[in-house]
Amino acid sequence: MRPQAKPQKIWSNLPAFAPQASATDHLSVANVRGWRVREPVSGRRYTVLRLETRDGLVGYGEGGPATAAEIGDAKAAAVGRRPNENEIIRHRLAARPAMEAAINCAFLDLLGKWTKTPVYQFLGGPTRFKARVLAQLEGQTEDDLATPLQRAVQQGFKAFMVPIPGRDSLWRMQAYVDAVRARVARVRSLADADLDFVLDAAGTLTPGDAALLATALEKNHLLWFDEPTTVLTNDGLARIADESVMPIGLGRSVTDIATFQNLLRWGSIDLLRPSLGLNSISKIKRMAAIAETHYVAVAPYHDGGPIATAAGIHLAASLPNFFIQQIPFPTAERDAAMRTELTSGNQEVAKDGFAPLANRPGFGIEVDERALDRYSEERV
Amino acid sequence: MKRREMLGALAAASGLRGSPARNPAIGCGCAFAPASAIPPGSEVFKDVGSKLRITDMKVYGVTLDEKIARADRPYVFVKLETNQGLVGWGEATLEGKAGAAMACVNDLRDFIVGSDPMQSEHLYQLMYIGSFYRGGPVLGSAISGIDQAIWDIRGKFLGMPVYELLGGPVDPRGVRGYYHAAAWSLEEARALRDQTRQAGVTALKFQLPDLLEWVETNRKLTRAVKHMEMLREGLGPDIDFAVDFHARPSPTVAAIILREIEPFHLFFAEEICPPENMRAMQRAARKSTTPLATGERLIAAYGCNDLIDLGIVDVLQPDIAHVGGITALWKVAAAADAAGIRMAPHACEGPVGGIASLHVDAAIPNFLAQEICGLVEAGEMNRVWEDLMGFSAMRMVGGRYPLPTKPGLGFEVSEAALKKYPFQGTRPFPPAFHEDGSLASL
Repeated sequence: MRPQAKPQKIWSNLPAFAPQASATDHLSVANVRGWRVREPVSGRRYTVLRLETRDGLVGYGEGGPATAAEIGDAKAAAVGRRPNENEIIRHRLAARPAMEAAINCAFLDLLGKWTKTPVYQFLGGPTRFKARVLAQLEGQTEDDLATPLQRAVQQGFKAFMVPIPGRDSLWRMQAYVDAVRARVARVRSLADADLDFVLDAAGTLTPGDAALLATALEKNHLLWFDEPTTVLTNDGLARIADESVMPIGLGRSVTDIATFQNLLRWGSIDLLRPSLGLNSISKIKRMAAIAETHYVAVAPYHDGGPIATAAGIHLAASLPNFFIQQIPFPTAERDAAMRTELTSGNQEVAKDGFAPLANRPGFGIEVDERALDRYSEERV
Repeated sequence: MKRREMLGALAAASGLRGSPARNPAIGCGCAFAPASAIPPGSEVFKDVGSKLRITDMKVYGVTLDEKIARADRPYVFVKLETNQGLVGWGEATLEGKAGAAMACVNDLRDFIVGSDPMQSEHLYQLMYIGSFYRGGPVLGSAISGIDQAIWDIRGKFLGMPVYELLGGPVDPRGVRGYYHAAAWSLEEARALRDQTRQAGVTALKFQLPDLLEWVETNRKLTRAVKHMEMLREGLGPDIDFAVDFHARPSPTVAAIILREIEPFHLFFAEEICPPENMRAMQRAARKSTTPLATGERLIAAYGCNDLIDLGIVDVLQPDIAHVGGITALWKVAAAADAAGIRMAPHACEGPVGGIASLHVDAAIPNFLAQEICGLVEAGEMNRVWEDLMGFSAMRMVGGRYPLPTKPGLGFEVSEAALKKYPFQGTRPFPPAFHEDGSLASL
């Protein structure tokens, strides 16, 4: 376990406390390339960046969807930087959250590959030896959901995120509550294993309706009720938190740490749901540190690709207050095939509800650039 | 049976390795060998952890001559040894409680010896949450010493200084610092100004002139205000100066002083009242425009949470030797950063904790300045530090501490030098009294 460039030699020429020169100087980023990737059937989009260092080491990072111009901004921020300089990147790319996520991810990949160490060792070492995973099912009706649910159960998943039914504005609220109850009962009956569910409102409800629904479903013991509303104000969220004991997950569109700190301060949130596509691993570590002092768990949202999933499992390993990692579970065969083609060492698998940690250098996966070419809308 | 024989018999009876008499200076009969080869719960990490293992933990009490350092603050250093030859150093110095801190480090031994030091977060949780009785300065300091040593090993193993592991450096020129200072007349303040400028130092910290009661007289209130007025006049407009109230006033008295010193533009006012009751501190804080700082007595990120969420302070000052080491100091800094609060970590211990602080300082964007208990002019204490560390530790160059460049924390403590300063036992903080004999907050 020694870095290739024998950095000790550099240090021995320096006085003990000389500034600036770093053992990672040769890891300065020389070039950045990007793929704007799209899943063929679901249309799910994300960005993959390829960072190459001065001495030819390559690291990959994934972030949410981005324009070619944003990828250019990411390149401008990263070139010449060493892969440990995450704090500078976090500030340089604060207005480009998807790119901040991607660069940080690639930086960590570079550090892991350089030292031949899994990334979780850079993040504070493993706090757990496997990470609980949540399959995000696609589908609008219970019949849509049935097949993918059963397939996911066969593949070892034990927790699932299912959407609430769509609501017609003429539908009486009590009838709608009954429909949601019926959906929960139906998905629970689809497989007889010991399964758990997250109910996803995708931000479609008012705080008042969300509070009513959350209270009505309390005794179903869902893992939590996700993103009930987009109204992330203190008084709006207080209605839900005050009326119900249903755990509330929030924050898939949040990109700044202070928003989560405010939600925690007001007791509005039971699970932090920062999206892996919009927040770097390093930024989520900061969010998690704040959540820890409020006894609140972190369950990263993920609606991107398999590289970010792998990164998310390394993050999960390192967080003491991690609960579960969401993984998209495409219904379409072509989408599923794409996810396995992009990387080898696929981490989107579960055994008894948990993903194993990859004790391999970097994120423990190999990225297939030809597959990225095949599935990309644009190369930058 | 004599004590030493009894300890030997205990060790023989339980078949434990290691010498229980290794730390006789602590003076307690605690067993110092682990109960099992690996810490509880660690077997499940065999496939995901590193091959690195902590093989031994040593704790050193270091007493300096009373002319150099007060008797209440012997340094407590922790050394971890590994199966791959890497060693780590940390500092658990706790003023007035050296013996308790050393004993507490040893109380945590079963969690540490046999563990994988790459699991810094897990081991932190094991020591903090696994201790059941959470927090408190004794446990906080013991965790701090061990945590710093674990990070030292982590950095050495990964071949990088700790600040690079933490995402830094934010500013490669180094870490801004301030020294302690005293000036009791305008002439002294002017001389200090010249000396400070010449050294390239940009910030200083002073004490209040008096002990204070919970309601104060015109004489003492006026003296406090006049003292700071004199300091600003003597130091000139360009040197940042802070004043450490050291929790002497009540919020009632602090509010009056803070109101009247606003024109002197302090760097910050520190510990304006005792730290246990944060809402009480808020009473005075609400009325002040002078930046307020506190935090040296707070343990873990949990201990700092209310200060941050209630928006009481502008500057947080946890001490890396008490708050819970690098792990906890970084977590506090993350929460403070999101709330727009800056960090000026306290450090009134030895050189190991000081340098460990520099690593966190260098990696956080909301850093303000690093304390060290030294003066603008290097003194006898700095000679001892040079003896211990092999270089002039925690001395600024041009107002900044240069960043360490070696992997880990970037130094080795000379064990030969440590032997020159054997542990002489603990003394409590010297108490101070008001003129009627009642106890004062010092």
